[in-house]
Amino acid sequence: MKPENPLLALAALAAGLLFLSPVIYSIWMSFQTVDAYYAGRLDFTLSNYQLAIGQYNFTRYLLNSVLVSGAVTVIGLGVAICAAFAFARFEFRGNNLLFGAVVATLMIPSHITLIPNYLTLAKAGLLDTYAGLILPAIANGFAAFFLRQYIRGIPRALDEAAYMDGASPLVVLWRVIIPLSKPAILSMGLYIFISEWNNYIWPLVAVGREDLYTLQIGLARLYRVNPGEDVINWPLVMAASTITILPVLLGFVFVERHLVRGMMMGAVK
Amino acid sequence: MLRRLTPYLFALPLLGFIAVFTYLPIAQSINLSFREWDFLSPTKPFVGLDNYRLLFENRAFWNSLYVTLLFAVISVPLRLVLALLIAQRLLRETVISRVMRGAIFLPSVTSTVAIGVVFSWVFSTDYGMMNGILAGLGVGKVTWLQDPTIALWVLIFVNTWKQLGYDVIIYIAGLQAIPPELYDAAAVDGGAKRHVFRRVTVPLVMPTTYFLLMISVIEAFQVFTIVDVMTQGGPAGATDMLVNMLYRVGFNLFDIGLGSALAVILFVFLIALAFLKSRIIGRKVHYEA
Amino acid sequence: MIAKFKATTAATLLALLGHTAMASAEVTVEFWHSFGGSSGEALAQIIESFEAANPDIKIDAQEIGNYEDIVTKLQAAIPAQRAPDAVIMEVTRYGLFADRGVLKDLTAYVDADPLKDDLYDYAREVGIYEGKNYIVPFNSSTPVLYFNKAIFTEAGLPLDTPLKTYDDLLSAAQQITAKLGESGITGIAAPGQFARWGLIMDNDSDLIDSVSGDILIDAPGTVEAYEFMASLVHEHKVASPDGVTKENNGRDAFLAGKVGMMINSTGNYGSAASSLGDNLAVLPMPCNKVCSVPIGGAGIGILTTSEKEVQDAAYKFISYAASPESNALWFAATGYMPINKKTPQEQVAVTALAEQPGIDVAINQLGFARGRPRPPVVTWMRASEYDLWQAMALGQRDVSEVLSEFAESTRAEAERLKK
Repeated sequence: MKPENPLLALAALAAGLLFLSPVIYSIWMSFQTVDAYYAGRLDFTLSNYQLAIGQYNFTRYLLNSVLVSGAVTVIGLGVAICAAFAFARFEFRGNNLLFGAVVATLMIPSHITLIPNYLTLAKAGLLDTYAGLILPAIANGFAAFFLRQYIRGIPRALDEAAYMDGASPLVVLWRVIIPLSKPAILSMGLYIFISEWNNYIWPLVAVGREDLYTLQIGLARLYRVNPGEDVINWPLVMAASTITILPVLLGFVFVERHLVRGMMMGAVK
Repeated sequence: MLRRLTPYLFALPLLGFIAVFTYLPIAQSINLSFREWDFLSPTKPFVGLDNYRLLFENRAFWNSLYVTLLFAVISVPLRLVLALLIAQRLLRETVISRVMRGAIFLPSVTSTVAIGVVFSWVFSTDYGMMNGILAGLGVGKVTWLQDPTIALWVLIFVNTWKQLGYDVIIYIAGLQAIPPELYDAAAVDGGAKRHVFRRVTVPLVMPTTYFLLMISVIEAFQVFTIVDVMTQGGPAGATDMLVNMLYRVGFNLFDIGLGSALAVILFVFLIALAFLKSRIIGRKVHYEA
Repeated sequence: MIAKFKATTAATLLALLGHTAMASAEVTVEFWHSFGGSSGEALAQIIESFEAANPDIKIDAQEIGNYEDIVTKLQAAIPAQRAPDAVIMEVTRYGLFADRGVLKDLTAYVDADPLKDDLYDYAREVGIYEGKNYIVPFNSSTPVLYFNKAIFTEAGLPLDTPLKTYDDLLSAAQQITAKLGESGITGIAAPGQFARWGLIMDNDSDLIDSVSGDILIDAPGTVEAYEFMASLVHEHKVASPDGVTKENNGRDAFLAGKVGMMINSTGNYGSAASSLGDNLAVLPMPCNKVCSVPIGGAGIGILTTSEKEVQDAAYKFISYAASPESNALWFAATGYMPINKKTPQEQVAVTALAEQPGIDVAINQLGFARGRPRPPVVTWMRASEYDLWQAMALGQRDVSEVLSEFAESTRAEAERLKK
């Protein structure tokens, strides 16, 4: 195989930048003043960010997104690991049927649940609460399905040894299974976090109160209501958009490999 | 006794969530699809198949179905072909291909709303990037998102741009699983590059292709966010995909019966697709073994 | 140290969860409205002076969006039991909510309120549905024709160009687009839904008969009116499709000085005057076949779900918002018409009438203004009309075909709603 050609590398870099140019340009635009932008001048400012996190409350949305995605990830992983453990390590009546019910959720389009879940949470008084945002997202069988496959790959002898020492199933799960499944759990966690971070339709129907908006809802609304006096204030919108993208963008640099693996896991669906 | 209960206790939390937020809603949707309700009336009278009849008589439904099919028929092959071609070139573990993979993959994990907003600017009539480029080339302004004949193409473009990276990654995994000996054998046979691609790569990567085909078709039937942000189904219904119609009927017009009927139809269709997917993929995997 | 940390964490969490209930004796009225920008500021001023006069009542005002957004959000809020206590409701869209028992019958409140004798008849009428009073008028309007003098002059149109008929509008718009199109200026803003309704009434027709309640969407006069309006966009290209896909874009472009004419509610007077200054001119609505304009705007209603104490407080506010002093302030700031007979005597109003040319155009056409019926189906009809208008205006579908289908489905929906 030929060594890397620096010219080729440069061309590849350029192609990558071109591909991402709309996003890169939008980030650059977020540092322009609106007047300069429309006049075609150059001008550096942080005022759009000040406006977004000040007047337009994006700190709050950021916090909401972190809270909701974080909770969905932690709770979702928790229930998924337990269920995966049960299905991977125990023989019990209804085993196959129940696991089938979990796997089937991978095929069920979420939109059929939209109106009924709205009504269920309305009845429970949970719309416009964090719980209302978090709970329906837990009902996802994907993580359990994947972790079960992974746990099955762990030699049973390790469990047996622990049971011999008098450990309870909970201890086996905690001391043996979870430590050995760490890479899978990490990738799955990232996958869940990002999916929830980018979730749009459910927060759109479940949340009416502005102080519970997630970033996605806040951004869509900021763009829609057009805070410019007569022309749309694109630099402000782009600042908000950058705030929305940034956490995933930064995380991406560090965890790309895990992410890619998480995505590839998706391929076994 | 406790010992026998253990697995149930471990599985219970997840099963509980799934029962309440996935299975119960399916039953509720089916029930509501036979009723008439607008969120306000205290009663939900039973109307039989009326909602289904109204849906099939509704021009907007056929329009949505047409738009969604068109979207799927154009965007799915486009994605697969592009992804395979790109994946082929990014197979080797070099710095270049790592960087390129990263760049292509990035949009697929980025917020769809943010991408929708950024591309709304790219394709905006007066100050957008596209019209800026066109102006540089001496071409007049195009009203990308206001023209019913163009808007859907813009959405297809944006969706392809966003999802391509996922397809590429999956293809790379699929291609890397092909034993190198097969290439060598084909090369020894004196096959030209194109020949090898057609005779070796494409057939052997078929299971991955089927997989991607199915999930991207299913995805196409669930597109909502990008539509809601960029066009809200307009102009004149030109991008009114099925889920967008579902949202509009349910949460703007509050025809809960009609919306539920639409949800049930979408559900049946997607479940059928999913079964098809598992059968086809199951068979392919079987062939391989 | 740790205890302190725990306490701080707990406090932060509580604040985050938004459940920090303040113990206090005052009544809070959650109020949904649709006013942003300068109108929003005027409303805030009214609320502020109300709260100063009633220290035990707090108005928690929330800007929800436009009238359509409010209707949508209110309907979604009902099963969720998160409706507000008071809400701005557009005058043709509240029938559904009155009919379904969502809005409280305010007749007893109004009858006991001296305000009732001060309201103009036209204004009081907008609140009545099936003989009962459900909303109290707050902002009343009729559509007017705005134009930009600078653009007219530049396009070679005299400022007294007749703008009475459809043909007058079209030829003026064509001249502007022909002369100034190169510099990005278009002749007329694509009419919004309120303006569309007005132009249909000008053509001696209607969407729904104000007496019998018959659906007139497919009446010849209505079809002709839609054909004219749609032709402005797709055939003559004197109105930008931007204002079709997003209704506010047309208005925003007019305010930015990029459009020659705009038919819109008089409630835009305030922002138009501040954007265009001396270049703003206001004319009465055209009279293509007859002179007839719809009365629009909104009133404030109270929700049946609120507690009695809150309802009483809400009514106090509603009554205050319609008082001469509030109404005069509102009129001067926004251009919405006076609804209180004593408003014109208020100093603010006197000044506005003297110094703001054109602010009285809407008032002067009240002679041929008409209230519109508000049966439950109107909410559905108006929500559905937007997409169909897009299809017609962008030349996607034949106008008469769209309207006959739309008329049929509206009649069917009206039947369904009666059950």
